[in-house]
Parts: sequence; C-alpha cells; structure tokens
Amino acid sequence: MVRVASDTLNSRVPEGPLQQKWDKHLFDMKLVNPANKRKFTVIVVGTGLAGGAAAASMGELGYNVKSFCFQDSPRRAHSIAAQGGINAAKNYQNDGDSVWRLFYDTLKGGDYRAREANVHRLAQVSNNIIDQCVAQGVPFAREYGGTLSNRSFGGAQVSRTFYCRGQTGQQLLLGAYQAMMRQVSAGKVKLFARREMLELIIVDGLARGIVVRNLATGQLETHTADAVVLATGGYGNVYYLSTMAKGCNVTAAWRCARKGALFANPCYTQIHPTCIPVTGDYQSKLTLMSESLRNDGRVWVPAAKGDKRAPDQIPDAERDYYLERRYPSFGNLAPRDISSRAAKERCDAGHGVGDTGLSVFLDFRDAIKRDGEDVIRKKYGNLFHMYHKITAEDPYKQPMRIFPAVHYTMGGLWVDYNLMSNIKGLYVLGEANFSDHGANRLGASALMQGLSDGYFVIPYTIGDHLATTKLEKVPEDHPACLQAKKDAEDRITRLMSVQGKRSVDSFHRELGLLMWEKCGMARNRAGLEQVIGEIRELRERYWKDVRVLGSGATLNQSLEKAGRVADFMEFGELLAIDALNREESCGGHFREEYQTSEGEAARNDADYSYVAAWEFQGAGEEPVLHKEPLVFENVKPSTRSYK
Amino acid sequence: MSTDVLNLNLRVWRQAGPNATGGFKTYRLNGVSTHMSFLEMLDVLNEQLIAQSEEPVEFDHDCREGICGMCSLMINGQAHGPDNATTTCQLHMRRFKDGDTITIEPWRAAAFPVVRDLVVDRSAFDRIIQAGGFVSINTGNAPDGNAIPVPGVKQEVAMDGAACIGCGACVAACKNASAMLFVSAKVSQLAILPQGHPERNTRVINMVAQMDKEGFGSCTNTSECEAACPAEVSVAHIARLNREYLRASIFAEA
Amino acid sequence: MNALLRILSLPVHLLAKVPGLGPFVKVLSTTVGQKILMALTGLSLCGFLVAHLGGNLKLYAGEQSFNDYAHALHSLGPLLAAAEVGLFAMFALHIGLAISTAAMNRIARQKDYAVKETKQGVFILPNGGASNWMMLTGLLILVFLATHIMDMKLKANPGVDYSAAMNTEKIVANEYHAVKAVLSTPLNAAIYMVGLVALGIHLSHGVRSALQTLGINHKRWNLLLKLGGILFAWGIAIGFMSLVVWAMSYKG
Repeated sequence: MVRVASDTLNSRVPEGPLQQKWDKHLFDMKLVNPANKRKFTVIVVGTGLAGGAAAASMGELGYNVKSFCFQDSPRRAHSIAAQGGINAAKNYQNDGDSVWRLFYDTLKGGDYRAREANVHRLAQVSNNIIDQCVAQGVPFAREYGGTLSNRSFGGAQVSRTFYCRGQTGQQLLLGAYQAMMRQVSAGKVKLFARREMLELIIVDGLARGIVVRNLATGQLETHTADAVVLATGGYGNVYYLSTMAKGCNVTAAWRCARKGALFANPCYTQIHPTCIPVTGDYQSKLTLMSESLRNDGRVWVPAAKGDKRAPDQIPDAERDYYLERRYPSFGNLAPRDISSRAAKERCDAGHGVGDTGLSVFLDFRDAIKRDGEDVIRKKYGNLFHMYHKITAEDPYKQPMRIFPAVHYTMGGLWVDYNLMSNIKGLYVLGEANFSDHGANRLGASALMQGLSDGYFVIPYTIGDHLATTKLEKVPEDHPACLQAKKDAEDRITRLMSVQGKRSVDSFHRELGLLMWEKCGMARNRAGLEQVIGEIRELRERYWKDVRVLGSGATLNQSLEKAGRVADFMEFGELLAIDALNREESCGGHFREEYQTSEGEAARNDADYSYVAAWEFQGAGEEPVLHKEPLVFENVKPSTRSYK
Repeated sequence: MSTDVLNLNLRVWRQAGPNATGGFKTYRLNGVSTHMSFLEMLDVLNEQLIAQSEEPVEFDHDCREGICGMCSLMINGQAHGPDNATTTCQLHMRRFKDGDTITIEPWRAAAFPVVRDLVVDRSAFDRIIQAGGFVSINTGNAPDGNAIPVPGVKQEVAMDGAACIGCGACVAACKNASAMLFVSAKVSQLAILPQGHPERNTRVINMVAQMDKEGFGSCTNTSECEAACPAEVSVAHIARLNREYLRASIFAEA
Repeated sequence: MNALLRILSLPVHLLAKVPGLGPFVKVLSTTVGQKILMALTGLSLCGFLVAHLGGNLKLYAGEQSFNDYAHALHSLGPLLAAAEVGLFAMFALHIGLAISTAAMNRIARQKDYAVKETKQGVFILPNGGASNWMMLTGLLILVFLATHIMDMKLKANPGVDYSAAMNTEKIVANEYHAVKAVLSTPLNAAIYMVGLVALGIHLSHGVRSALQTLGINHKRWNLLLKLGGILFAWGIAIGFMSLVVWAMSYKG
C-alpha cells in the first residue's frame, strides 16, 4: 500500500479571481534592487527554450548567470526538434480566440489534471512570447502583405499556431540562444558547455549549487550560487526508443529528487501516433512525422489477421479503417492518445503490417486520387521526402507505415506557482516540471510553456526568493559541496569498477522494452506490479554486469550513458509506481481496468483529482506520496468525447 | 522491403585526446542492415568493440533527426557522407555496397580541435554568434508581433539562412576551412529582417573579426560548402555578407 | 608557415602606421577585406586584358595600323610609365594576397584529410573544377607573364631573332615584326599557349568569383553571370591564342 504524507502540498497560488492572480502576484512579490542584482548568482541547467530564455532574461536583469548544458553548444538542446509551432492567443485571425479560450483548451486537453492558475498564466503570457520572438528576428511565417501567418494545429478550432516552416522549435531555440549569447558577450552569462549535472548542493535547506562533470576532460567541478534553475527537459528516454534526442535524460531532475525534491505525475507520458516504425534491434531512436499527415491520410490495417499481401492487393472491402469505424465524427483526426492506443490494439490483435507486424498503414491513395499528386506534394512534400529517405519506400506509390512512439512527458519535478520545487531555491522550468499540461499536452504548447517559464515567469519569481531569503556566501569547500562532489565521484568509481560483460546500451534497451510493454500506451495492475519487480531485478543486474571501458578522466560517452541509465533504472520504477497508484485513465495515462464500455478513458475525479508528488526514500524503497488537490473554480471538468 | 546486409571495412580515426597523436584503425563489421542509419551502424560497431573490451569510438550525436547539428563525420572524404542535404544521422546504410571500405574522419580545422576520436570542439561557432549574431532586445521590450510588417517573400529568404544547423560541415568541406557560409547565414538572416537593421553594421564587422580570430580560412567561392550543407544554405548568403561588409566598412557612418 | 605569414603581413602592419590609412588597412586585414581587394585587383587586371587584347587585335589590321597604335602608346611617355607602375602594383598585390591567403588557408585546415571528395558532382576539370586550380593556373600565368615581359618589353629573349624588327641603330622600331618574331618561335608559341589556357581557366572561375566577393549574386542573374564569366574568360584567352596561331601560320 502506498504511504501517503499527512499534509497536502501548498501550491502557493495567489488569492483572487483567476484573471487577476498573476498581475496581483507580480505586485506582491518583493523586488531585488537593481544595484543589488549583480550581487546574486543563479545557476541555470539546460539551454533549451526554458533554460536559454531564463539565462538570457536574468542576464538582462543584471544577475550573474552560469549556464550549463551537456551538449557541445547550447544551440543543440532538443527544443530544436519541435516541428509544428507555438500557440498564442493573439486572435490575429479574428476567429474568436482569446486568453480564456487558450486557457480552457489547454486545461481540457490536459484532461483536467493541471493547475488552473498556472495554465491561465501560460495563456496570458503567450502573446508576449510571440512579440518577443518576432523582435529577436525569429522568422515566423508571414503573409504576402507582411503580417504573421497562423495555422490550426492538433485539432484546435481556431488558428492560433505560429510557425517557421517545419522548424519552429529550431528558430525559437536559436532566438533564445542568441539572446543568451548576447549576455555572454556582455559578461552577464557564463557558459559551461559539455557539462553534466551530477549532484545538487543543498545548504541549510536551500539549493545553493551543483556538481558537474566536464564531459570533455572528465573533471568534476563545483559551482555555487544563490539559486539553481533546472530546465533539463523530459524523461521520455526511459523507454529507450522515443522521439527524444539520444542525450535527453532524467539525471539532473532525478539527482534532485534523490535529495528530496518531489517528482510529480511521472506516469503522464505522451505517445505520438505518427512515427516511423522500428525496423530492427539496432534501432536507436524514432522519428516523428507531423500529425498534419492525418488531415489527408487514412489509417487502416488488413481486416484479416496476418494478411501479408502488398497493400495495393488488398481490396477496400478487406481493409479495416479502424479509426473511421470507431470514431465516425473525428475519424483519422482522433486525438493523439486515442489513435495511438487504437493502433497498438490492432497490432496486438495480429493485424499489424510490415516485417515486424508493428505498424499500421497511413494511406494517401484516396487523397492523391481526389486532389492530385501535386497538391499532396505541396502540402507534405518534405514529410514524404523524409519518410522515403528513412524507409526507402515511396509514399506516393504505397501507403506509409506508422506506429506510435513516446514523444513528450508531462510529469516532472513538482513546483509551486512560482515554479519553485519543495526545495527552496530550486526552480524547475519547461518540460522538466509538471505544471501546465496536466495529463496530456496539446500540440504546439510545449514551446509556449518553455518560453513562458523562461522569459516571463522565472525572472520575476526568482527575485522574490532572492529578496526575501538570507543567503550567506557558500564557499566551494563548504562541507555540503565536498560531500556532493564526493558522492558524484563515488558513483563514477562504482560504475567504472563493475567491469561486467554487457554494454550500457543493452541494459537501456532492456529497460525500455519493459517500460514500453507494461507501462507504455496501456497499463494494468498485474503488468505494473510485475514490471516494478522486473525493473528492480534489472537494476541489480545492471550494477553487477555493466561494462564501462576507458577512464573517467577523459571524454567517455559510455560513462555518461552509464550514469544516465542508472538513474533511469530508479526513475522507471517510480513511473510504474505512479501508474499503479493512479487507478483511473486520463490523458496520457491509460489503465485498461478503467475504461468505458466503448473502450474510452474513464477518469475518476472523485478520487484522483490530485497531483501525485513522490518523495524518494532510497533505491528500492517505497516512495512517499504527497498530494496536491486540484481545485477547479472556473472550469467544470467534463468528459472528452471524440465520437 | 529488402533486408539486405552488408559486410564492411571501417577505417576509423582514433585519437585518445586533444594532444595525442591519432591514427586510423580498421575494423571489420559484418551483418550491417541496409535499414540502419550511419550512426546506428557505429552503435553496432561500438557494441562489438565493447564486447571485445576495446574502448568504443567516440562521436558526437544527439537528436538523430537531422536538426540539432551535433553529428558530424567526414565519410569517405565527404562531410556527412555522399548524400546532399543530409546529416550523418539521416544517412542510411543502403547508400553503401557490400564489401565497401569506409573511411571515417573528424572535421578537420584549426578552429575545430579534436577532443577525442571523431569528436571536435566547435565552440568557435558560439563565439562568432556571441560577437554579434543577435538582435539586442531585452525581454519585455518587444512591440506587437505585427507592428513591423515583413513581406512574406523576404521572410522566406531570411528563413533560408536561419535554417543553418551549425554543424560545421561547411568548414569541414571547404578546402580553406572557411566558416563563411555559417557566418553569412546569420548575418544574412538579420540583414534581411528589419529587426536586425539597427545593428547591421557592427554585426557584420564584429562577426567577421571573430571568425578571423578563431582561425578559419578565407572564402575562395568554390561553393563546396553549399554542396555539403545539410540545411541547403546557399552561397548567395555569402554574397550578402560581402555586401554588408562593404557597406559597413566603407559607407556606414559608424 | 607561421614565420612566412609574419613576413608576408609585415607590409600590412607598416602600412597601418601611415596616417589616414589605419581604417583602410583594418578593413583589408580581415579575410573578407583581403578577398575584396583580391577581387578588385583581379577585375582591374581583367580590364587591362581587354584593353591589351583590343590593341593587339590591330595586328589583324596590318603592319601600319599596329605600329601606329604601338607608337601612340609609347608617345604617352611618363603616363605610360605611370600606368605600367600601376599595373605592376596591381599584379604584385594580387599575387601577394594570393600567396598570403593561401598560406593562411593552409594553416586554417591544419591537418589534411586522408580522403577528400567533392560533393558538387562532375566537373570538366578534376578535383572540383576551376576554383581549385587558381593557385596553379596563377603560377603558370606568372611564368608566362615573366616570359612575355622579357620577350616583348625587354626584347631580351635569346631564343628570338629580333633582327627583322630592328632599324639600323639596332633599336626595335617595328613592333609588328617583333611580335611576329616572338610568336613564331615554336617554344615561345608553346609557352604562350599554355599560359593562355591557364589564363582561360583562371578567369573562368575568377570573374564570377570576384563578382560574388563584391556581393554580386542574384537568383535571377546568377546563370547569366556564371556563363558570362566563362564566356569572358575564354573570349580573352582565345582572342590572344588566335594571335599566336596567326603568327605561326602567317608567312610574310
């Protein structure tokens, strides 16, 4: 049975009407005197949209910022891979959009598992983000007349998505990166690339620094500061195969969790339905193709089990257009989670196609017949090209094959309204926190949240902490620093000294498979209980049999991966525990026991309308559950229906 | 769907550290599926090396979908391998033949020192951006997004330059190890957009100065960079940089 | 290599000390500035080639016409001398910059690739086309130029019999015959032909490259500029070559 903490978490949401909370809070927060800002140092870990924007903005304000990333340059952060776009409630298209509508859509899309006040603030500042990015020179798509273009995205009823071709994430990231590099040249931001955070330094209950490993030289470095901001992204790579970059990891967040930061809602993982399927054991990552393909493509599988005929040999009568069959009104445009589960269900039932039987067809035959190849080429040319390149199959001639893949993780470290974790002075931004997307994230909202947190929330909220907290200088030889450094050192030594037989990757792949099978798109009690044991057992084997060659004193990518996988091994267990605890289906979390008679997710608002924030008690120990009740004062939770 | 497999000889540059003398080592790798990406092929090689207790080959990579710009590699003398408009992570093994010998080297440039094996230090690019590849606008200062109209056509040209992924293939492929395509992509983007105009003169002067300071070579207009660029950045941006440079150094008032 | 570079950059540093030249030198000490100067000198030399070819084509108009032109040039006196000095400076700058940037570019690469292939497809010239042959063709042109000056300006080529062009005081009076004497020597003709082929190759990249360096590049005109550059290059080269052929075949 889960151990539940007696007190509930205080989210520190300000009083007052929803629309006025943020403005009122801005006034209530203490300010740091402009002349005093230069006396404070802030560490920012991660240089994606959230981290890059935070470092730039805080540098502009006058704080001394130390920015860290594990890649060779801050410009590589995985925000760069976002294709679709970024939402904002500008209502440029005059189609009835508003802050309230964006707020409502985001909250509803998150299946009512997000904090109202945070989501409203997100919608409020969304417009400032667009202005800021335009001013930075982000080349958003424009109309001939020179005004900004919008498109409708991810089933939204209004056109509120701003985009730069298929590279919106790249352009927004470069905007933040450039703003940050400007502060580097101004001397306000110090850049530390190829550094991986291995420990959090806590002094007198306050987050006061980090220990990092210089990945190029192997050296451990201690950095102290007055506050630590984590913007280290999501944990999707616990599944090994995902659409994340290979380097994405949970280590920074998990190191904080081990030091007492609460990890919230880890079971909320988003699966994207239109990815290129796996071809073999060597597969290292999955490639996402824009969801927009489902606007014209029809999803089907052969009606007969194990039908191995070429797709063009299967007549219409023997095809099962299962999305159109099950969801007549939304059809092929059914939401991400629903279409993902439906694909898995068909494949599990033996109708999957391709060599592995783990894919379904996305067929453009009818669209090409209706609109002509040219029209389709204009709309999806680059996607078709990418698909052709990766699979060597021509989607103009034969249907694409797609399969769902892990794409985004809504869970993350627990934060209050100020984005501060339960460890004072430790702030968590972007995908690394849990706060704004509830159980499911809407398309084009991830970029919005990262930039909102970085440009327009943390610069204000961190000031309140710095202005109101007594912060003695922490020398690098403070016992807490030395201990943290020693912990990091010991871990490296331990990993290097196992000298087993199996590579880190082979263990990671095994963990990923366990997670995907039993804690992926659909979960059930028996599977989860079983997988928790399996993960524990795998973790034991890992520490006995992993082989890390070379030395800790040079660039050593195996060692980097070994540390990350060790953390995934502990974190994966927590993910399963959270999934087991949440006896309902909502958003990206689907429990097979909790579905309607039609197979749809059945939420349980009476018992589970809370944030599950877990307190680490040691590897293999049962974590303690802290609850933050979710209160909906402005919107009444309803049931999603896509029939 | 073909399920061909290849047996390959890999001639890989190994170098223990920045100051170590490197050299080629040849490895035999059998049973490579043609569906693998080039980096997945290297993953498999590394699994084989680890099993034989030999240290795996270090190579930079991250997103593996062609956008982050972290992967590199000179493959048989071509930056990112034989395909145009492709990063190494998007290059597939079906591009090679059974029995091929593939030579794999790091990017070579004085400004990109080798860190280890195939990993090089490209922080010179960061310092070039730092020298002026930005618009000086503090957070909160921005006017409404639609306040400055930018014709759609201009926007597209700016986006062509902005598409640069900063991988360094242009430097690697250029016989002079020149960074002109990289520098010009940013200069050009911000010279086209009105947002970049207030600083256009200082930007180009400072970025070029930093480029020289880093030790990149000069541009002899061979266009090899354009052919190697995975983001298809055109040398037209280099011409625009040259115009900007002339303008800034000869005609500008300050 | 570094020592060589230091010696080569010495004049630049000295020039920077001259009052008023500081900012100018600063611009020209960057790689972009140097390429711009390279382009400007190159294009100026192209201008000279056009004038030179224009004058030389008078050979086809006969002895009188060509000698009149030569005489008119010579009668410019100090002006001609000044033009020659300018021309020499132009060459010196172009060549000096070529050598110093080439040296810097070698340093920028630091270590050669074991294997290097172009990604630009097939060229008529191997190794990536004319742009990769600039140094070699430039050197060939330099050798040719030295021979040419010795032959025509100094009239000091021991392998050439200048007697037909000389008057009683043993001073060359008939440039028309001098040209024919030089060009009809088989060895000379061969050197000139090689030099002119090198010139054609050099300019077929050089002209377009210089325009690009000066910022002239437009989607709409690029093909025209490229073909125009090649046409210009081979127009000049073939124009001069025709004179060699003419001299070889013309008996009289």
